[in-house]
Amino acid sequence: MSRNRDASSSLRFFQFSESLGVLTLLVIVVVVASLVAHGFFTYTNITNTIIIASITAVTGFGMTFAIAMGGFDLSVGSVQAFTAITAAALMQVTSMPVAIIGALVVGIALGLVNGVLITRLRVPAFVATFGMMSIIRGAALLVTKGQSVMITGHKAYAAINNGKLLGVPVPLLIVLVVFALLYLLLKHTPFGRHVCAIGGNRKAAIASGINIDRTTLLVFGLVGLTAAISGVMLSSQLLIVDGTLGTGFELQTIAISVLGGTSMAGGGGNLVGTLIASLLLATISSALNILKVAAFYQYLYLGLLLVLALYLDTLRRDLIASSMLKRR
Amino acid sequence: MKTPEKTDLRKIDAPEGRQRGFADLVLRYYIQVLLVVAVVILSMVNANFRRPANYSNILLQASFTGIGAAGMTLLIITGAFDLSVAGILGFGGIVLALLSPVLPPLVAVLATLLLGVALGLLNGFVVTKMRIPAFIATLGMMNVYLGVAFIVTKGQVLGISSGLLRALGTDSLFGFLPIPFLIMIVVYVLCSLFLGRTVYGRYLRAIGSSETASRSVGIPVDWIKIVCFMIVGVCTAIAGVLLSGELSSANAIMASGYELNAIAIVVVGGTSLKGGSGTLFGSFTGALFFAVINNALNIFGVGAYWQYVVSGLLLISAVGIDAIRSYLRGAD
Repeated sequence: MSRNRDASSSLRFFQFSESLGVLTLLVIVVVVASLVAHGFFTYTNITNTIIIASITAVTGFGMTFAIAMGGFDLSVGSVQAFTAITAAALMQVTSMPVAIIGALVVGIALGLVNGVLITRLRVPAFVATFGMMSIIRGAALLVTKGQSVMITGHKAYAAINNGKLLGVPVPLLIVLVVFALLYLLLKHTPFGRHVCAIGGNRKAAIASGINIDRTTLLVFGLVGLTAAISGVMLSSQLLIVDGTLGTGFELQTIAISVLGGTSMAGGGGNLVGTLIASLLLATISSALNILKVAAFYQYLYLGLLLVLALYLDTLRRDLIASSMLKRR
Repeated sequence: MKTPEKTDLRKIDAPEGRQRGFADLVLRYYIQVLLVVAVVILSMVNANFRRPANYSNILLQASFTGIGAAGMTLLIITGAFDLSVAGILGFGGIVLALLSPVLPPLVAVLATLLLGVALGLLNGFVVTKMRIPAFIATLGMMNVYLGVAFIVTKGQVLGISSGLLRALGTDSLFGFLPIPFLIMIVVYVLCSLFLGRTVYGRYLRAIGSSETASRSVGIPVDWIKIVCFMIVGVCTAIAGVLLSGELSSANAIMASGYELNAIAIVVVGGTSLKGGSGTLFGSFTGALFFAVINNALNIFGVGAYWQYVVSGLLLISAVGIDAIRSYLRGAD
């Protein structure tokens, strides 16, 4: 009995430490950055870092669902650009709530198109979302004719980025609300269990009667929604948007999911890890900026840190695995 | 999903092979047939498309990404992929540009190819020995390679003046078959032989189907994967040499987006990203397919922004029809 409890408690610790690894890294990076970079540990800079992290994190959450299901979505960067433009264009003709809802609806619709291509046309997720990435990017450039769209004279819209509610930055509030909802969705609903079941063993999921097509459709709709939320957040930050926004965003969001402990093999998603990993990447680049590291060297350091971070994670897993073996 | 093992068995045993008619042949080589039909129709309707120089240009454009896709096919069959290829290609091009004024051109080329092998070895080491997921590991390494390439060149474009290197990228056999395309054929033949005629080829499929099972029967999984990363590295370096030759210059970001394009070619060619199955013939066709689409869009004067839309639509519909077909056949 006691051995069983030991095993299950160390298993629980193992699951908990899945996020602990990247959290430890975040703490190390924050401590080192505070010591080395003067002006890093200031209220303004911390707030800015959190704002940058939240834009990536929101879409990262959606991506975590897609990866947990055993796929991914390459079109999020284009969706982010298109919805940012939609919001900006709607702001010129209607009120702010309509503009935001319009952008979110467009995001969901684009995500659902991905889902339909994958479930109805049976196109592999890579090709479907790669093709959509190209189509939506083209559409974003076409509707703007390659020009920029300005959002002027709307203080309330800018507040999505720089406003505060009870002293908490609005982007942080958005990210926490989205996180809480999606965490409940993934961990405490049948839908979340279905997503993980499909990613874990597709055939078993089919055999146990899970509606794979419907789940896939909803997951890609969700990814589209989260990309649209970050599109609105980005447009509120920049207040001037164009069709080239968000290039490379797909790799960034997949990277924070994987860095946060969600396996590309599918079967489970770690939203806490995704949140922490987004902070980690934002902290690293903010520290490099404060240290006035040239852009060229930033590539190098970011790459090395990514690899180093994951190597430390490998070592941590080994340690846990060997301690669990010893206990047995 | 398709069941790739089934297709492979059919190919090996081919019990119902004699009963297969023309229709089945067309269905099995769907993407190849689609390519031929597209080329024939485009040639009939457009005088510019059917100029020999244009065909030659299509072959040239297909080879730069196509050569990288050959190595990528082998790697994807093992169930991994490499996002760092754009970095390897840019880095390789720059090393070639730096070495070519001081060394004989062929030595410079050889050094570039060795660099590709070394970077592939490094990728493979990071993925297998440091046990970092291939996606993140190679994404990180791409940043490292791009960073080093930027630092070395200070972000500048480097010129290449060697006549031989330019000839490698621009000359053609009989004035029609571009040298890069001939090299692409050689690369594909070598990779096919590796995959189909050596025991390692079977190991690749085994690793892609089940890494755990492969380990337990004693296949040196890590080393096979490292070799695949090295093959990707050398293929990409070859593409880097040819592209720098064609452009007579090199810079760090000369191949941005190369990784997704190469993977797309492999997937369009029928190789599953899940690993375990795939053909080089498919990837070869995929490379030509993308080159024909881009060429046709240019010839018909489709605007740059519309090209994004149309090429995305064409890609999805081509693969979609293929996917529906194999789904229906699977349901029979």
